[in-house]
Parts: sequence; structure tokens; C-alpha cells
Amino acid sequence: MEYILHILVMVCIYGILAVSFNLLIGFAGLFAMAQAAFYAFGAYATAILTLKLGLPFPADLLIGVAITAFIGALVAIPAIRISGTYLVVVTLALQVIVIAIATNWKSLTGGTDGLRGIPSLHIFGYALDNPGRFLPAAIVALVICFWIAWRLVNSPFGRALRAMRENESAAEAVGKNLLYMKVAVFAFSAGLAAVAGSLFARYLNYVGAESFGIDETIYMLAMVILGGTGNLWGSLVGAAVLVILPELLKFVTLPTEIADKSHLIIYGLLLIVILRLRPEGLLAERSTMRHLPHVDDTSRHSAEMTEPLRTGEVTLSGNDLHKRFGGIVAVAGFNIVLKSGSITGLIGPNGAGKTTAFNLLTGFLSLDSGNITFRGRNITGLKSHDIVRAGVARSFQDLRLFTKMTALENVMVALPNQAGDRVFDVFFRPMQIHREEQDNLVRARAVLDFVGLTHKAYETAENLSYAEEKLLVIGRLLATGAEVFLFDEPLSGLDRTTLAEIFPIVRKLADSGKTICIIEHNLDVIKELCDVVYFLDEGHAMATGTPDQLMNDPALATRYFK
Amino acid sequence: MDLFAQLFVNGLVNGSHYALLGVGFGLIFATTRILHFAYGPIFTAAAYAAWFAANVLGLPIAAAMLFAAAIAAVLGVITYQYLYLPFERGQGSSHVTLIASLGLFIVLENLIAIIFGTGGRVIDGYQYSIFLIGPIYFSSVQLGQVIAMVVLTALLGVYLARTRHGKAILATTDNPEMARIIGIDTVRVSRLVFAIGSALSAIPATLILLKDGASPSMGFFAVFIAFVAVIVGGVGSLRGAVAGGLALGMVESLGLWKIPTEWQSSIAFIVLFLVVLLRPQGLFGRAVN
Repeated sequence: MEYILHILVMVCIYGILAVSFNLLIGFAGLFAMAQAAFYAFGAYATAILTLKLGLPFPADLLIGVAITAFIGALVAIPAIRISGTYLVVVTLALQVIVIAIATNWKSLTGGTDGLRGIPSLHIFGYALDNPGRFLPAAIVALVICFWIAWRLVNSPFGRALRAMRENESAAEAVGKNLLYMKVAVFAFSAGLAAVAGSLFARYLNYVGAESFGIDETIYMLAMVILGGTGNLWGSLVGAAVLVILPELLKFVTLPTEIADKSHLIIYGLLLIVILRLRPEGLLAERSTMRHLPHVDDTSRHSAEMTEPLRTGEVTLSGNDLHKRFGGIVAVAGFNIVLKSGSITGLIGPNGAGKTTAFNLLTGFLSLDSGNITFRGRNITGLKSHDIVRAGVARSFQDLRLFTKMTALENVMVALPNQAGDRVFDVFFRPMQIHREEQDNLVRARAVLDFVGLTHKAYETAENLSYAEEKLLVIGRLLATGAEVFLFDEPLSGLDRTTLAEIFPIVRKLADSGKTICIIEHNLDVIKELCDVVYFLDEGHAMATGTPDQLMNDPALATRYFK
Repeated sequence: MDLFAQLFVNGLVNGSHYALLGVGFGLIFATTRILHFAYGPIFTAAAYAAWFAANVLGLPIAAAMLFAAAIAAVLGVITYQYLYLPFERGQGSSHVTLIASLGLFIVLENLIAIIFGTGGRVIDGYQYSIFLIGPIYFSSVQLGQVIAMVVLTALLGVYLARTRHGKAILATTDNPEMARIIGIDTVRVSRLVFAIGSALSAIPATLILLKDGASPSMGFFAVFIAFVAVIVGGVGSLRGAVAGGLALGMVESLGLWKIPTEWQSSIAFIVLFLVVLLRPQGLFGRAVN
């Protein structure tokens, strides 16, 4: 009996760890390999604070969580500039350093002997000093940690996290602050792992460096993958299976040495087999939107959306923009003025600098020189997510939809000023967020109506047709609430019928006073749609005028078709 | 000054070891973009293969080294063909091959531990010679580590630059899609780099066996330091991997001047953090993602 209770306690501890790791790997798509290090911080914090400073519960736990969350947040700061491979190597290094500290800083950590005699938890003078007594505390901790993670991933913040996982630059292009998100998710993930560490220390009354090695991180990884990335319940299942399975194998008699090794072999094989046969894990990721009711009251918001702005005013202007890549001059002395209510076309041969110009105008690339103003305000040098929030948004030639999210979520994530993007509000203003979500749903559905995708609202983006994907790109951009829309080839690759459906949508946007700029190769589209055209070549505007003026210029025609 | 000279030589020796590991790992990584963690246990397997050849079969050290290289090459190619390739064909994200690689890492490491036991293995009766030049001490194995790095890296450099297969590897490293378009079979190229990279790791593995003996857990540090050397030096550059490895060895060794021994392995990571933060493309490389 004692033995079974012990296993259940371990399931709770690993359940917390797997859930915390899933936040990073499954939801945020941040492949960090230092989860066991965060676990170690929590365990050592409790051990050191109780043994050396005599702190009582819950001071040790709270301080441990705070320190670990802070360290997690520090890891996130390089993670903003680096990704993929670099994040793996940096977190792996953190993992190795933490073990080196635990082994070598003898006066603090007890070195290879570890720290013994950590006091058991006492609740109302009742010592939790055996598995049966400890289990309720472990369950309570698991429930609280699970709830925190659940709340986080089912909030607008969680939606933004998944968007970031699907495509970082697209998340930035709808106004999400990636640094903030990475810092927050790392802090939460590390903090939750520290709770597991503290429990571990209190339960075993001992911590030693051997419990927190790289094998342990891989063990947790196996739990997350087995259970299903992006599904918190899956992490619980994964933890339960991988804690219980080796215990069952104990009934097969093997020398202890070999038994331990063969368990690890089984995790490894299981990891590979599950990736082969069921890469989404036992419980696949589900759309979080199921929790929201359908809402049909779109009238109020569609009215608000089409409220006309004044047309003909200068909104965005770029002055004397320059950009070089090494020896290659991409943009040199480019000037552009966009006006509200008009559709401006950007044409020019491949490599003329059209997309680079968009990247400069929206802060995705930094300028070498020149300045950009939006409604008279200098926005040069602002971060791209701030530029979106100021009112200038762009789309990408290669779409960059959040493919594993529904059409509705793609739009909802782009809506501006969501209190739920801030983790503080997620936990401390739940009612406001609930109200806002109802509101967001209405706004998002209005956007989908506008682009004619209402019937596909609950379809994941990867299941849409090409034309529908293009429409969703427009919808997502629209949802940002920006005033200036920069479309990078929104219509390329579409047939005539589809074009005929999209034209009025773009026209309607302009008529409502939005400022629109389109990169386009198809001259028929330009002719049909644009009020003004810039002909770009060699990094600057060779000519500006109405479509007819430019197309009748033989010099430009030779350039274009050269 | 004597201490400095000795530390410098130690740094050069360890740096050469790291550099050679980095060259093998970096060749595989730059060409296939697979974070091949199983490089570690294959390195371990090579050390045990050399031990088996020398101790059980009674082969001379040089032959044992070749035997180890052959075993490593075969393991590397099998890993690519039957583990990574199916995942790549399945269009999984790059994380999928990484996770599969970690899975294989655990499987191989523990398999080796079960087969050979967790205790260390040394070649019975092998004794290396010791040289003293002035105040500086080094052994024949240490000399071998430096020579192996210089010779093998030079050979690899010539092979890549001069031969048809070598050029195909460089082209694939540069741009796999373009390489396919001009008719290079990138799967064959990948098999080739797995064979070469793994075989290369067998040489430092054998030398470590001669120097310190083999143990089942030796692979983690090997793949880790190789990875760090490649990132510090710059992905996709042979010179980078060598410079990265040497830099790590040097910093680690010279750091001992002021820092206690047990912290030696942590010094390298400080270098890693600095490089990643200040010069993410590495000393010699281009940025990757």
C-alpha cells in the first residue's frame, strides 16, 4: 500500500513537471532543455532555506519559485534573439552548469553528498512524513499548478503563445510582443517546475545533484511527447504512464543495475515509437475555442468597423529610406506617401526592393537612414509590434498563417488591446477578460463575415483552400485594427473568379477610409484596383502615377520585362 | 611562466580533441541540419569497439582505431537511414528529429552500459610514453590528439574542396534545395556525411580510451562539447569548428590559472553564452536558424 501511495506521489510531482515543460515545448514552441535545472532550483531552494536559514513553509517554496521564475525569465532574454538550435545549446549549457554548481559548491549544496534532513511538511502540526500523508499535499499542489497552467493556455495569452509557436514573425506582425511572451512563459514554466522541486525535497527529505541531470530533462520530454504537446491533460497521462510503467516492469526480475538501464531504454524507444506512430501524442492538441459560445450579434460591431475615416489625408510616409545588406544595396533613397482611402500599388521587377521596403516601413528591418512617419508621428525605429499597435500592419507574401489554429483564432489573436495578453490580467482580472472575450468573439466573427469566411470559422487554417487562406490573411490583417494595410502580393496565384470576389473587399476597405498599399505583379490587378502606382527598381521609385500613366511609359515597360 | 606554458599545451591538446569532435558533428549538422545528439553514444560505441578490437581480438592500436571508425560509420549511416530519414520524409518539424535523436541517445547509452557494464574499460597492458621538454609535460596520446586533429581536418578540407563528393557535400551545406535542383542526391550526401562524421568521431574516441579509458556515459560530454564548439566557431565552417574547439580548450585550460579545477567545465559555457549573445553567427560562420 505504502508503495502504491509512493508511486502516486511521484506521479503528482512528475505531473507538475510535465505540465510545466509542456508550456514551453508544446504551447510556446520553445525547445528549451533545462527543465530539470529549474526543478533542481526549486529543490535546492527548499533544502537550503529550511536547513541553513530555518525558514518555515511556505516561505521556502515561495522564495524558491520566485528565484527560479526569475532565472527562467533570464533564459528567455537570449531566447528573443536566438531560436531553434541556439536555444537548445544555451539551455543545455544551463542544465550542465546547474549540475556543476550542485556538485561543486560544497558549502551550499553539500556537493556529491547532497543535503539531508530537510524537514517534512507540517500542516496544522501534523507531519506529512510518509507517502499516505504526503499524497493529499501533492495532489493539492498538482491541482493548483495544473489550474495555473490551464488558465494561462486557455487565455488570450495562451492563444498568442500558440500563434508565436506557429510563426514568430507573423505573431509580431499582428502586434504581439514576443519578448514579453517569452519571458512570461519561461517564468511560469520554471516557477511551476520549482514547485515540483520543493515538493520533492520535502517528500524525500533529501536532495542530490544526481536527481536533476539531463536524463531527467529527457524523461520529462518523453512524458510531454507521449501525452501530447499542447495538451495539458496529455502531460498528466504521459507522467502517469512513464512513472507507473517502470514500476510494473519491476515484476520482471533483473539485476537492479540492468533494470534501471532498461527502463531508460524503454523511455527512449517509446519516445521514438510515439513520434513515428502518433506524433501528436496520446491526447492531441485541441482548439481552445470550444469553450466559447457561438454569438450571432454582429450588427453592432460591423457598424463600428465600417465607420468611415476621412479620406485623402496623408497617413504613412517614408522619406529617403536606405538599406544595404553587406555590399548589396536593397533600398536606396526610396520615398513613399500613402493616403487614407486610396489604394497604392507597388510594382517593379524581382529584386527591386519592394518587400524590403515593406520590411523597413513595418520595423521588421532596421533602416540605415531615412525616417518614417505615421499621421505626423515619427515611428522610425519602433519595434514592429509597436508599429502595428500604432496603426501600420503588413501581410507576408508566403502567408504565414497560424496553421494549427482555427480561422476564428487566427483572427482573434490579431485583435488589438486585449487585456488577456497580459498574464497579470489573466489571473487577476478574470471577469474583465471574460467580457472582453465575448466581445472579441463578436469582432472576430464580424471580420470573418467581411472576408466571407464565416462558414470556415472553426476550420484549422491548414485545412483551408488556397483562396480561403488568402482571404484569411486579409481578415487577420484587418483584425489588427490598423489604419494602414501593407499587403505583400495578396492576390498572387488566384484565378479570375476568386480575384473578382476579393476586389470588392479591398475596395470596400479603402472606401471606409483605410490606407492600402499592395505589392503586385499582375498588371491587370493593378489597373483594376490601384489609384496610384509606384514603380520600383534599383531600390527606389523610378516613377509614380496612375496605372495608365505608368503602363504607357515605354521606358518602364522595357525595365519591367527586361 | 612554466605553469602558463603547461596550461597552454594542455589547452592545445584538449582543444584539438574538442575541435575534432566539433568537425565531425559540425559536418553532419551543417549539411543535414539534424541536431544529432546520438553522435555522443556513437562516439562511446566507437571507444568500446576499439577496446574490443584491441583487448579481445588483440589487434594493434592503429587497426583497432580503423575498426572503431568502421563501426561508428555504420552506426551513423544506420541512424540516418532508419531514424532521421523517415522523420524527414514525414515532413515533421525539425524538433521531431531532435527529439528522436534524444530518444536514440538514451537507448544507445544504456544499451552500451548493459552490454559492457558501467565500470570503465582500459586496454590491458597499454602504456603511453611521456615526454618532458623543458618544464612542459605531455604524453604520446596527447601528441596523438593534436596530430590527429591537424591531419584529419586537413584531409577533410582537401576532400571537401577537391573531390566530386566533397563538392556535393559543400553544395548541399550551402543550399540543399539548389543542390537538388542541379541533380545532387542529397539523401546520398547525407548518408555520406553521417559516415564521415561518425568515423571521424572514432579517432578522438580511441585516443580518449587510451588516455582515460572508456565509460558508457562519456558520450554526453563529447556531443555537448562538439555542439558548443560548432556554435562558438560558426555553423557550416570547418575552420570555425576547429577554432571553436581550440578556443574552448584554451579558455578552459588557461582559466585554471585563477579558477579551481572542478569549475573547469563551466568555463566553456561562459564562452558559449558570450558568443551566442554577442556574435550569434559564431566566430567564422553565418547565422542559422
